[in-house]
Amino acid sequence: MPEKHEINEKVALHGAQQKQVYTSGVKPIWCPGCGDFGVQAGLIKAFNELGIDKSNVVIVSGIGCSSAMPHPFSTYGIHSLHGRLLPVASGLKLANHSLTVIGTGGDGDGYGIGSAHLLHSARRNIDVTYIIMNNETYGLTTGQTSPTALQGRKTKSTPFGVTEMPVNPMALAISAGATYVARGFSGDPMHLSQLIKGGLSHHGFSLIDIFSPCVTFNHDNTYDWFRSRVYKLEDVKHDPANMAMALEKAMEDITSNYSKLPIGLFYQTDRPTYEEYELSLKDGPLAKQKPHTREQIMEVLEENR
Amino acid sequence: MKSVTVRIAGANGDGVESSGALLIKVAAQNGMHVFGYRGYQSIIRGGHVWYQVRVSDQKLTSHGDDINILIAFNQDAINNQRSHLSEHAIIIYDPSKAKVLPEDEAKYKTIKLPMIDMAVQVSGDPIMRNVVSIGAAIKLLGIEKSVIDDVLRGMFGRKGADVVNSNIKAADMGYNFEGLEKAYDIPHDSNSRYTMDGNTALSIGAYAADCKFYAAYPMTPASSILHWFAAHANNGVLCKQTEDEIAAINMAIGASSAGVRAMCGTSGGGFSLMVEGLGLAGMLEVPLVVVESQRTGPSTGLPTKTEQADLLFVMHSSQGEFPRIVVAPRSASECFEVAAEAFNLADRYQCPVIILTDLFMSEHIESIDGFDLDKVMVDRGKVTMTNTAGGRFKRYLLTEDGVSPRALPGTPNMEFVAGSDEHDEYGDLVSDALSGIDKYVEIRERMHEKRMKKLDTMLANESIFVPHLDFKDSDFYLVTFGSTTEAVREAVDRMRSEGMKAGIISFNYIMPLDKGETKRILSGKRLIDVECNFTAQLAQVIMANTGIEIKDKILKYNGEAITPGDIVSQAKAILGK
Ligand SMILES: Cc1ncc(C[n+]2csc(CCOP(=O)(O)OP(=O)(O)O)c2C)c(N)n1
Ligand code: SF4
Repeated sequence: MPEKHEINEKVALHGAQQKQVYTSGVKPIWCPGCGDFGVQAGLIKAFNELGIDKSNVVIVSGIGCSSAMPHPFSTYGIHSLHGRLLPVASGLKLANHSLTVIGTGGDGDGYGIGSAHLLHSARRNIDVTYIIMNNETYGLTTGQTSPTALQGRKTKSTPFGVTEMPVNPMALAISAGATYVARGFSGDPMHLSQLIKGGLSHHGFSLIDIFSPCVTFNHDNTYDWFRSRVYKLEDVKHDPANMAMALEKAMEDITSNYSKLPIGLFYQTDRPTYEEYELSLKDGPLAKQKPHTREQIMEVLEENR
Repeated sequence: MKSVTVRIAGANGDGVESSGALLIKVAAQNGMHVFGYRGYQSIIRGGHVWYQVRVSDQKLTSHGDDINILIAFNQDAINNQRSHLSEHAIIIYDPSKAKVLPEDEAKYKTIKLPMIDMAVQVSGDPIMRNVVSIGAAIKLLGIEKSVIDDVLRGMFGRKGADVVNSNIKAADMGYNFEGLEKAYDIPHDSNSRYTMDGNTALSIGAYAADCKFYAAYPMTPASSILHWFAAHANNGVLCKQTEDEIAAINMAIGASSAGVRAMCGTSGGGFSLMVEGLGLAGMLEVPLVVVESQRTGPSTGLPTKTEQADLLFVMHSSQGEFPRIVVAPRSASECFEVAAEAFNLADRYQCPVIILTDLFMSEHIESIDGFDLDKVMVDRGKVTMTNTAGGRFKRYLLTEDGVSPRALPGTPNMEFVAGSDEHDEYGDLVSDALSGIDKYVEIRERMHEKRMKKLDTMLANESIFVPHLDFKDSDFYLVTFGSTTEAVREAVDRMRSEGMKAGIISFNYIMPLDKGETKRILSGKRLIDVECNFTAQLAQVIMANTGIEIKDKILKYNGEAITPGDIVSQAKAILGK
């Protein structure tokens, strides 16, 4: 195994030189009351508290209501394809690891069509902060079932009720190797902003799943529904460094039959990132490395005599 | 031109490939020209595999037709290859492994070389028969023994003197086998040449163009590009094997968005998965180079066999319309040139460039005198570091030439959001809430025209989008593209040496095409289309662009590489000669 090496260019997270305005003036397209507004507010608060330098931030999204997130921001952004935000974000990060790269999208995007990328980004421990707005439905396509929809739920595409088990995002991410795994609720933007702040400061792959109600197409999992079930892990005895305990908390969704839904930081650990192992990044971000020289080109050519 | 074709055949695991590779190196080192191609299957042991190595005093463009020297490692090798032998062929075989039919014994010269015994004698390992057999082959080819000794020293020097010595000893036994004599006289010069396959040449071309990022999921015949980049992590390239081809193309798009020259590569099956990403690059106007190395389809097809049946697919893949460039290099050395230029085109026009190769192009080995590194220039196009206009940066500024200034994340005051939805000059969406409103209908129109305008711009600025005509004033022309051009070249040489006035019109850049110029080149000529697919896809492209219908066609789709012999005989049949 290659040795971990120091990444020369440390992520320029804190202390931007000037006061930054993180909004672009573009109005979000969400329905009034949509949970995604809370997530946007949490993200702005986290940026402000960290004093993040907006020109070093890229928000990458997939497709879905929640994936419109980059537009109201004055940072860089890529609004990519349904389910593909993680590969795009990973490419950006690998090409220039001095950037702060954030992924934002929906549950369909992340746990459905893009699920393979979630699994592999987690095991790579690439330094991307991934925020999933989990409304347990497909918002943009007008209310079909989703990978996180509970069994029995009736939707346009499951008029007789969902029969599949929902994905357990926390357990999935922990077991796949994510090094920062948290869940928030957009009804509590203060709390979720702290989770986002933690994820942005964390060195490695973070998954932050946020209960973000769809007020238009999900009348089952409403703000009230979530509010009566969530409780904060900070308020109980929980040690995020303890993987077994974290998994136990993750399984509480199922063991409590979705009557108790913990939010907060489930798990955090320190493991070298993909970038720290990658040999080609020893000399700094790829985007800042010098062009290949004639001598280097001759060297690879001469291998073929 | 003088040439000798050697075919080494046996089972997987017999060392057929290492024998072929050794012979190629020795001949190139000896100042000869070489061309190699192998036939193999998707299994690791057993089966029937062969490696054909052709050596010559002149630049070769084909691995040739009939076999002059057959090196047979087992009985299957003789049984399967005897129909490919030329008139005065020599068969070298191991009497402990195979027999030759009495009728063949009478027809051909046979050499009973106890390769396994000899190998065991020098090293205790029967695998060393590959060196024994190549020792014998180079004696027949008139190559000095010292040449193979030098090559073996170079190959095994790192493994210590014992390994080098037993290899040299093994070569000795083959070379000095009783009764073996020089059988061919091939002039050679004093140049030592590079030998490499198309994928290596392509990888080095990309490297020379400062490509620093390669993402792929393994798939024959593109995998060796992945291996090349992975092996050069210490030479300033990042190579990522991804979870699938969807991730590969989207990672390359991410890396390119960050300003690093990025490429992904695959075969047709993987390209099918990349199709949505291709459109993303088109819409975001992100430079991207994609390699598609075709193999025999449809579906999994023949994974280790060649075809050119994905041309129309790569030209039209992905929904909607966006400018793209499709180029099919016509030789291994052109793989280098095309790859180096592809990154400039992608940067200049902020669009995907697809390099279309195939198994034959990816895997055949050519000797190459050298590359003109002075011709490799890096042009990053309209990358901008300062926001001269002030206010929010217009990443998708409507411009005359259709190309907008591009900023890279990390640059202050240039922040923008790039979107796969239709957008305005800032990148703000005009899709969900705004589509259908007059103002935004117009923005969509302008933005689509802006992107498509890049096609006119590239056609006006570049002189590459035309076919190449060789042998003016010929009576007829073979029309072809990409890898098939190699065999066509030799076919035309052979016909011309017989007094037939044959010419070539070959395409490397196929999309877009300069219609007027292409039509001028093709007009008023007797044309025969030569390509490796069933539906004559190049002929369809020509018809669509010029209205010229090519009625006579030589099409091959059995998975084997087309050879000059195939082409000559069919061309003669068409011409009634
Ligand atoms: C390849 C592909 N398939 C389907 C779609 C249509 N589509 C757009 S968004 C979406 C799902 C949206 O749900 P989710 O990801 O949970 O996000 P939300 O809208 O709820 O925020 C689908 C199926 C698409 N854009 N691309
Ligand atoms: S449809 Fe649902 S998810 Fe989409 S914006 Fe409206 S409330 Fe939000």
